[in-house]
Amino acid sequence: MPPAKLNAQAMARRAAAAIAPGDVVAIDDGLPTLVPDATSASLGAWFLGNSGMLNDIPLSQADAAAVIRGGYVNLAVVSAAQVDTTGSFAGQHPPGNAVDLAAGAHRVIALLPRSDDVGASNIVPALSSTPDGYRCVDTIITDAAVIDVADADLTLAELAPGWTADDVRAITAADLSISPTLREMDFTPSNGAPPSKIYPDGPSALADLPDGATVFIDGFGGPGGMAHYLLISLRDRGSRGLTIVSNTAGIARVVSFGTPPGRTAIDHSVLIENGQVAKAIASFPVSPSVSRPSEFELAYRRGEVDLELVPQGTLAERLRAGGAGIHAFYTHTGAGTLIAEGKETRNINGRNYVLEYGLLADFAIIRAHKADTNGNLVYRGTSRNFNAVMAPSARVTIAEVDEIVAPGQLDPEEIVTPGPFVQRIVQRPQGFTGYE
Amino acid sequence: MTADKERLDRAIIAMRVAKELPPGASVNLGIGIPTLVSMFVADESIVFYHSESGVLNCGPLAEEGSEDIDLINAGGQFLQSVPGMAYFSSVDAFAMIRGGHVDVTVLGAHQVSATGDLANWMLPERGVGNIGGAMDLAAGAEKVIVAMEHNDRSGNSKIVEQCDYPLTGQGCVSLVVTDVAVMQPTAQGIVLLEVAPGWTPEDVQAVTDAQLIIPDTVAEYEV
Amino acid sequence: MTFTKLYDTAAAAVADVHNGATVLIGGVSRTGEPTALLAALHSHGAAGLTIVCDFSGWDGSDSIVKLAADGRIARIISPNPYPSASGDNLREVWNSAGVAIESVPQGTLAERLRAAGAGIGGVFVPVGLGTRFADGRETRTINGVECILESPLRADFALVRAASADTLGNLAYQGAQRGWNAVMATAARITITQADTVGEPGAIGPELVITPGIYVNRVVHIPPTGEQG
Repeated sequence: MPPAKLNAQAMARRAAAAIAPGDVVAIDDGLPTLVPDATSASLGAWFLGNSGMLNDIPLSQADAAAVIRGGYVNLAVVSAAQVDTTGSFAGQHPPGNAVDLAAGAHRVIALLPRSDDVGASNIVPALSSTPDGYRCVDTIITDAAVIDVADADLTLAELAPGWTADDVRAITAADLSISPTLREMDFTPSNGAPPSKIYPDGPSALADLPDGATVFIDGFGGPGGMAHYLLISLRDRGSRGLTIVSNTAGIARVVSFGTPPGRTAIDHSVLIENGQVAKAIASFPVSPSVSRPSEFELAYRRGEVDLELVPQGTLAERLRAGGAGIHAFYTHTGAGTLIAEGKETRNINGRNYVLEYGLLADFAIIRAHKADTNGNLVYRGTSRNFNAVMAPSARVTIAEVDEIVAPGQLDPEEIVTPGPFVQRIVQRPQGFTGYE
Repeated sequence: MTADKERLDRAIIAMRVAKELPPGASVNLGIGIPTLVSMFVADESIVFYHSESGVLNCGPLAEEGSEDIDLINAGGQFLQSVPGMAYFSSVDAFAMIRGGHVDVTVLGAHQVSATGDLANWMLPERGVGNIGGAMDLAAGAEKVIVAMEHNDRSGNSKIVEQCDYPLTGQGCVSLVVTDVAVMQPTAQGIVLLEVAPGWTPEDVQAVTDAQLIIPDTVAEYEV
Repeated sequence: MTFTKLYDTAAAAVADVHNGATVLIGGVSRTGEPTALLAALHSHGAAGLTIVCDFSGWDGSDSIVKLAADGRIARIISPNPYPSASGDNLREVWNSAGVAIESVPQGTLAERLRAAGAGIGGVFVPVGLGTRFADGRETRTINGVECILESPLRADFALVRAASADTLGNLAYQGAQRGWNAVMATAARITITQADTVGEPGAIGPELVITPGIYVNRVVHIPPTGEQG
């Protein structure tokens, strides 16, 4: 008599056991929707469903696609109808989100339908239809076994209770190698918690910012929406040879923007006069007034810094592209101008477009109004500006906030930047202003 | 050289531009004369102001003493909070512009060519300039109106056959309103539509580098 | 005069949907579906429509099924034309109505709609390589990564559903309702909203507006019935 097969809940539990603390886990329709309930809440995992819900935070489908394509999904659990020996799979409800998850997730677990429901092996030498995911599956979980996929080879790694390797081979069309560590499936839920995102101060949050880094610096121009405390912390850290990407290259000091008499606004100038900046990528790099040049303009005229001038909307779109896994895009902004020189131009439906590339950075220092300890952010008014765009596009995003609250204290409908985009949070010190 | 006839002041230019904003339009106003336009939009002709700083349906400037650093327009001026506003990020602000959702933008200019090329972001002698949102507005807004003085401080015509300043956009300007005339750039050249009170088409041509196309009837600037 | 985008009836709001129009539909679940607009579209009678819609949340609603069964739909572009919840029901509906089905990966559809709304001429993305979705497509290697060129998907109309609207067309959603509605609202020439509640300007706080009114042309107030939840 063949051994009993796992039920759907047991398969989901085995998939949940693969989740590490703080992971972003994309959940395909079908069997994978059982995985979140099989996961310990203390793990701090983020579940992204096909509907666009990231835990309880609603995302537009464009933002959900950006989470996946931008590389934020640590683990995708997909519903596969078939998997072949190369790890290509055909989705159960194609194409759905399978194509995106296959391309964007760091690790892919394919949950196969229970074999009794199908009557034939779902693990095959070659798919009977075209793939939705091409050579992307790392692990197959079935109702009888866990099979690892590597180098076009399937290795039987775990057996459902009561099953033998021969039992599994008997219902599997593809050839299976046997792992030297073949063992019974372990359903023990993952444990632990993600590391805290809260840093005590600016210097500790910036302690590993190296010389030569590319740093996104938030803000529109005036004092609102700029991480003044982190700017001062970065000056004090002294990292050099930086490429800064920002709307301006520091004009608040030379344009009043309501600066109180006798004070000096903190802006990018603190880094430039300290000799830390090698290059700026900006749309509004110099003072609007020729007679009041900014620190950046003076350094530029001395030949100390390079400048890449970018239209403001192109800057915003390049930042979004970087975070959304778009390597390049065509825009009509700047066609026929100096900005298009040396770039590919293409006529699309009778209009000229310029090819522009996504921007990524090592660090982003941004300013938000409130954060919760999971890193979810809300902004205030027009100070949202470039902050919300930069957060997804940097490897390490550090948010300077007025207030840090407990999870659940922010209205999920009002959260603008979800936690996976934010790695570190620093509270702005009491009484700290944007002026020196 | 510049004719001696009296030129219209900046407020009158703005008043004339205001007539070009259809009710319900989404409008983005640049810095300078364009900013004045909102003062002259009739109360019954409601338009919706979009700002690159990330706010739609924004209202008047804040009163002194009630400025909020988290509520600014693209020129860095503080705004009043009014009902019906919406805040968004820079990428959304520019998606609106680049996606053709802004109906009209009013911009200043250094030069406009007879075929509607716009140069407004850089004075070559400075060697460096700010683009800001100008190129996005030039490329993305459905209608680009330039509001400016007809001649620069040295008397040079800002309406030229071809721009010699760096371009902001090609063939994007659909109407030019200056202190002496209203003109429409076309692929065939720039058409004179209206002249300031007391000015003749010949007077306007005398202060204009570009060859004007002068129709049989040219209206007087209506304000 | 008070400016308003409010229309009295769903019928008036969809009156100019023409034969052969491409229509985006924001959802097919109880909370996200513009039921009244779809019913009005059915009564209106426009045919030869291309419908863009994700059926993954399909819960048995017959709004689009009726359009198809009565021969109004020529083509459906969808990431989930045959959702698991329907068994083979929807497949049979589309087949018997002669509807052409164009499958498209979910994220690709979202990015193509966003590109249309944001004036992007095309995007290079490393998604779909090795699958049928890359067949015959322009590809290019950028930063050592092979990418496919995806083009914007522009529509004539979008029918969206919002939890709340104001008379200027600002919208807010509830939960997963945001998913497709928010991106589709940006991608059509005319966006028509069915809103559960409608208020004066200011009814939705400026931080809570998800779709700013610049994207929205028409608003119809349809208080939800019990069954629409």
